Amino acid sequence: MAAMIDKTKPLVELREIRKAFGGVHAVDGVSVNLYPGEVVALLGHNGAGKSTLMKMLAGAYPIDSGDTLIAGEKVHIRTPAEAQAQGIETIYQTLALADNLDSVSNLFLGREKMTRWNTLDDHFMEGAARKVFHRLNKNFTNIRVPVRRLSGGQRQVVAISRALYFNARILIMDEPCAALGPEETAMVGRLVKQLKDDGVGIFLITHDMPDVFGLSDRLAVMKNGRLVGTYRTADVTEDEVLGMIIAGKRPEGKTQAEHA
Amino acid sequence: MNQSLPLWRRAGVDLRLVLMSVLLIAMGVVFHILSGGIFLSPENLYNIAQQTAVVGIVSTVMVLVIVARHIDLSVGSVMGFVGVLIAYLQYTSGWSWPTACLAGLAVALLVSIYQGWLTAVLGVPSFVVTLGGLMSFRGAAFLVADGKTQPVNDEFFQSLGGGYDGGIGVTATWVLTAVVVAILFARMLQKRRARQHHEMPTEAVWVDLLLTAVPAAVLVTFAWTMNHYQISSKTEAQGIPIPVLIWAAVAIVLSFIVHRTRFGRYVFAMGGNPDAAALVGIPVKRVTLMLFALLAVLVTIAAIVSIARLNAGTNSLGTGMELYVIAAAVIGGTALAGGSGSIFGSVLGALIMQSLDSGMLLLDVPIGKRMVIIGQVLIIAVVFDVLYRRKFGES
Repeated sequence: MAAMIDKTKPLVELREIRKAFGGVHAVDGVSVNLYPGEVVALLGHNGAGKSTLMKMLAGAYPIDSGDTLIAGEKVHIRTPAEAQAQGIETIYQTLALADNLDSVSNLFLGREKMTRWNTLDDHFMEGAARKVFHRLNKNFTNIRVPVRRLSGGQRQVVAISRALYFNARILIMDEPCAALGPEETAMVGRLVKQLKDDGVGIFLITHDMPDVFGLSDRLAVMKNGRLVGTYRTADVTEDEVLGMIIAGKRPEGKTQAEHA
Repeated sequence: MNQSLPLWRRAGVDLRLVLMSVLLIAMGVVFHILSGGIFLSPENLYNIAQQTAVVGIVSTVMVLVIVARHIDLSVGSVMGFVGVLIAYLQYTSGWSWPTACLAGLAVALLVSIYQGWLTAVLGVPSFVVTLGGLMSFRGAAFLVADGKTQPVNDEFFQSLGGGYDGGIGVTATWVLTAVVVAILFARMLQKRRARQHHEMPTEAVWVDLLLTAVPAAVLVTFAWTMNHYQISSKTEAQGIPIPVLIWAAVAIVLSFIVHRTRFGRYVFAMGGNPDAAALVGIPVKRVTLMLFALLAVLVTIAAIVSIARLNAGTNSLGTGMELYVIAAAVIGGTALAGGSGSIFGSVLGALIMQSLDSGMLLLDVPIGKRMVIIGQVLIIAVVFDVLYRRKFGES
């Protein structure tokens, strides 16, 4: 399976993307690529524009100007449903779960499996949900209680399952480990590696340096809505990355990497 | 984890609804004793059942409106407006009752979509939109017939409101009850089979049997009571009043919408977490508009039942009803913060409100005291709701 994937052609090309809220340029002419089986870490302070950029790719915000190409083809993503149709799945930092519904309902929220009579196929959904949750956490069985009663790790399992079950080819993870204990963080790490092997391209928004160096192939740093630079993770040091994030200073003598 | 839950929770029994049912029964017994044996008589229960239907019908959909984090304060006024219009079209314009009702429905849909559009598309809080509507449509109800009462004379139409010929009779009542009880047991069996088919755990047989037998017994008791109320000038007992049947049908359809359709699930998701609902691709605006349209349909049905019961449309029809409707939903366990509520709860809530009101009326409690007490009961219901959620960790 993995051998079939052409890793030389970009999965996502974002070109000169711009977005302004009122007079503030939240994202100002940013270009980033993502290749199959690659993890690109997006770094920057709060308000640097990385979450806004990803929300545009996920269809949550409309793009002011700039082009989005998926597998070489220009697309217009205007709603979350259109992003999902392109195989783009997002795991938000807030997890985007409806707290009053149970895990099964949340897994399928917006994409319910219907019966022939166009009613909700709860039995199918419960069975499918059990399988996908079990894959991520064998102890997760109370799947029929409202997710507000679940632990942080279990809630994360539900959010990740949404991406897993619907076969994402592009995955956006916004601070996936922020609320997790060490064991669950390790689970996310294993999952990222497994998805990479399957040829999924992953944008990883994070503040956590061990995550960046442990998981990402390349990193892109943003500051004040602009792109500071994109580098191979192996080519730069933690100090250089912090220099880019804090001062917007490109490391001297290091070449940028537009490709995987 | 599942095994550690108490049995009633695993079996999906809502403790709150059980408590409310107990409260309703206790209220009935107390009023029965205080009123010297009148309150639980078939005649009084028949009247309470049909009087509650109008508020009950609108309450079922108000549950969904509140679950979706909206409110509609204009239901009483819109019902008055639509009711007078339907009566006017029949009496003054000479239309047949079905055409008049369809015209009423069309107008209700226009009103609701206008208010829904302001709320869903422009983002004006529904509280403000419908507060304006509360005033405007009461005025519109006056304008339709210049404030004149519009009688309705069609006999079939009048039977929709209950009253003299408004019961379905003894035989029909027993047949209907038998059919519904059979369906209840068939559904229980089908559910068990489906769960076994999908290799999911089922409860012990006696648990499922009990959970089906209790509602069935309530139903049979109700049918028996309705079959023992006979108006002295008639040869046959009344049986179940038609407005109650309409209310029951409405409640069943809405429960189906809540549990079995996308629309119902989206309404709850929007109420639980509006941001998440938008992020996962739920068409929030469209669902909100559909919800308001559904409200229009049920307000029209309530208007029809209401003018049929009064044999006339007046411009004061439904005045203050919004409070009873919202109170029934809240007493029935709908959280005003949105995200949780049940249709069956609203049925119990409406019955509790109406029983309290009727019971006090029977005991000759003056109107002022009745209003004071009912207002405070509503507050007690909300306090209970807050404490209950805190105890069971639902807030």
